[in-house]
Amino acid sequence: MTAKGLKKLLLVGNPNVGKSVIFGNLTGKYATVSNYPGTTVEVSTGNATIKGIPYVVTDTPGVNSLLPMSEDEQVTRDILLHEDFDTVIQVADVKNLRRSLLISLQLSEMGVPFVMALNMADEAENLGITTDLAALSGSIGVDTVSTVATRKKGVSKLKEVCRTPRHSTLSITYGERVENAIKAMEPLLPEAKISKRSLALMLIGGDSSLRIWLHSLIPDASIDALEEIVNNLQAQYPEPLGYYINRKRLLAVDKIVKSCQSRVKGARKGFRQWLGAITMHPLWGLPVLLVVLYIMYEFVGVFGAGTLVDFMENTVFNKGINPFVIRLFDYVPAQFLRELFVGQYGIVTMAVTYSIAIVLPITTTFFMAFGILEDSGYLPRLAIMVNRVFRLIGLNGKAVLPMVLGLGCCTMATLTTRILETKKERVIVTLLLALAIPCSAQLGVIMGMLAGISGEATIIWALVLLSVLFLIGWLSSKIIKGEPSDFILELPPMRVPKLKNIVNKTIGRIEWYLKEAVPLFILGTLILFTADKLMLLGLAEKIASPVIVGLLGLPEKTTTAFIIGFLRRDYGAAGLYAMQKAGELTPVQVLVSVVTITLFVPCIAQFFITAKERGMKTAVAMMAFIFPFAILVGSALNFSLRFLGATLK
Amino acid sequence: MPHKKEAGAGFTVTGEIRDEFLESLWLLEETGNGKKTDKQSVFTLAVQEGYIEDNAGVEAVINDMAAKGDILLDDDYVSLSERGRDTARNIIRRKRLAETLLSEVFALGPMEMKNAACRFEHILSPEVTDSVCSFLGHPPSCPHGKPIPRGNCCKKLAHHIRPLVMPMKDLEPGNRARITFISPRDHGRMDRLSTLGIVPGTDIVLHQKKPAFVIRAGETELALDLDIAAEIYVKIIS
Repeated sequence: MTAKGLKKLLLVGNPNVGKSVIFGNLTGKYATVSNYPGTTVEVSTGNATIKGIPYVVTDTPGVNSLLPMSEDEQVTRDILLHEDFDTVIQVADVKNLRRSLLISLQLSEMGVPFVMALNMADEAENLGITTDLAALSGSIGVDTVSTVATRKKGVSKLKEVCRTPRHSTLSITYGERVENAIKAMEPLLPEAKISKRSLALMLIGGDSSLRIWLHSLIPDASIDALEEIVNNLQAQYPEPLGYYINRKRLLAVDKIVKSCQSRVKGARKGFRQWLGAITMHPLWGLPVLLVVLYIMYEFVGVFGAGTLVDFMENTVFNKGINPFVIRLFDYVPAQFLRELFVGQYGIVTMAVTYSIAIVLPITTTFFMAFGILEDSGYLPRLAIMVNRVFRLIGLNGKAVLPMVLGLGCCTMATLTTRILETKKERVIVTLLLALAIPCSAQLGVIMGMLAGISGEATIIWALVLLSVLFLIGWLSSKIIKGEPSDFILELPPMRVPKLKNIVNKTIGRIEWYLKEAVPLFILGTLILFTADKLMLLGLAEKIASPVIVGLLGLPEKTTTAFIIGFLRRDYGAAGLYAMQKAGELTPVQVLVSVVTITLFVPCIAQFFITAKERGMKTAVAMMAFIFPFAILVGSALNFSLRFLGATLK
Repeated sequence: MPHKKEAGAGFTVTGEIRDEFLESLWLLEETGNGKKTDKQSVFTLAVQEGYIEDNAGVEAVINDMAAKGDILLDDDYVSLSERGRDTARNIIRRKRLAETLLSEVFALGPMEMKNAACRFEHILSPEVTDSVCSFLGHPPSCPHGKPIPRGNCCKKLAHHIRPLVMPMKDLEPGNRARITFISPRDHGRMDRLSTLGIVPGTDIVLHQKKPAFVIRAGETELALDLDIAAEIYVKIIS
């Protein structure tokens, strides 16, 4: 991972305690900070210099227990189990000391020395919670520092103490029977970086993720023996042992919390609490949701896709950059090169113009809006509002995060389906993202096209999409096997987002977009350019024309847009947009083509990510379904509109 | 076990074996996480409990009880019929009430309690059962934390006075309550709740019930589905 000899520092803690912000404070580099449980699936590392000594800092995914119950938790446990490190900072939300100490106790049992950062001290103060740090340090035996990471308070003190972590004195006994089982298990367990006692407790708690690792180190007979000890022990308890252990731990932890923390009653009601409650109110939550959507539409759809795109496209590119580049290429003697860069399918005039002038402003404004929603704590509350509806399609409210993110970029959203707990949910969301969720870039272009016809058309488009979304969601929840996961969701308090965080996050995502999407735009343009030169476009138009003309009732030329649509969805839509502007499409044709291209196959990047996340077989199966299905819906719409004699004017 | 019996082909199942068998099926369904019960696990449990000698015996019992309509057979899966379920519910109710009585009132040890309760479940009449239930204050769970099926006496009561312990789903928004026990369908759910600090003894405030349950425990705010809220039993505190 890193050069040898560098000291290593781990950040460990519950989700949403500000680990990533502390990480940023230490390293100066920003990792994604988000209020939604589980967004830090990937582990970030960075370099820090602490009192003159260089460190490599690793920010582990948030955990509620070191007995893994999710992929995230397993990642963190495995880092503690397998990797070398010099010091650990446990980041705690001081308001939630009880749950933090549950982690401290487990670190202590592992024999991992650490220091504790009691973060969010400002919020605790507002709630009237006071903590006796000396008493806390005394009862757990490690250094504790009070911090407000977002304002860098306490960070220098943290840097001072984190170089000398101590073994915690926190320990409990689990009753004679469990203790005897631990004693019997310890000699059978292999030497590891963490204590045998903690390994035994993990096995007793029902951890099956250790199995492969154990198999590589100890004989099968020992594994059988371990299993038998656990089974015999479980037989003596009416409740699951993992639960029993957690109860014992909480009992011990509660005593410590009681002895060192106190709260003034009645300090609770505040504007933020009120706002938090109203956003998930069964009645008022809905208007709040509509207001949020409306503001997003104004910011992304009107300001981003309208004003900014207009400025970038017409002023910056068409009046500034493009004429300049074209004039520059006038000096290039080769006709071929001129066309390659500045022709109809030119790299500058098409790929760069589309990606920078049209798509970039839209994605930028969307990611800013999304970042604000993330940091404000609204997203989990949105999940509550939509939970019931999502239940109908075999999902629960948590699936709203990838779905909303999909409105920004479906490729990125496909990656975040990892936060869903069951395979069934991941497959359904991935399919819906590929089928019925338009990304911000495509959405911007489509909105522009629909605005050009009538409100009626927009409503039909939205209704068709929603029906498809629910029909296919419902059907796949019936067909795909498996249980929906439990809806247990932690709600972080509502917070005013910090501008700096939003800007940093948006920059990170734009960087990703530029690296990911722009090369594909150029590749797509090159493919088109080649196809055009080889007269393949004409051929493809001929082959596809029975479908395009016969079923969808569209001009042959739209074939090109659908072909490019596979490279970038928005790119295809942009082609249609250009045709509409040139007066080559009737309103009915606009609507049919827009519905078809929204449903149409995902872009190349999304396809690759789908294949990577769900497997090539699933990805291909999805494509094989989506391609004819989009045509089917488009044709059905075409025929019914014509049958009804609708003009949509 | 005192009631071991030779089970050959063509014999009919009566009395205690029938009771024991229905009880086994109930337990398998209860711990089976909503999954169907396959014959193999019935074989294992019945033989392990010792009231039937071997697999062939269990097979005979299954066939006879299916013929009588106590259980339903579906390929390799066995489930309780409507009638069988009623009988099984009463047996379980008697047994768990007996366990509660013996452990809470007479303070017997676990082994003593189990042996005595095993005999009680076959002999308590419906009237006596309801009396015991009322005497104990209509407890929702046995000493092992497993739910006691409700009887008629409990239903009558529900309309008159508020039960001491009730599922969280029956709380009103704004209520403060202490969790007394959790009886989930699957263990994973219990483990997950416990890592979030939701265990018996934890005090909670219910904020809202729709569109999802929102509770606060300390400074942790959690949203839960109705079906989870139905499995967490609480006692109102003021």
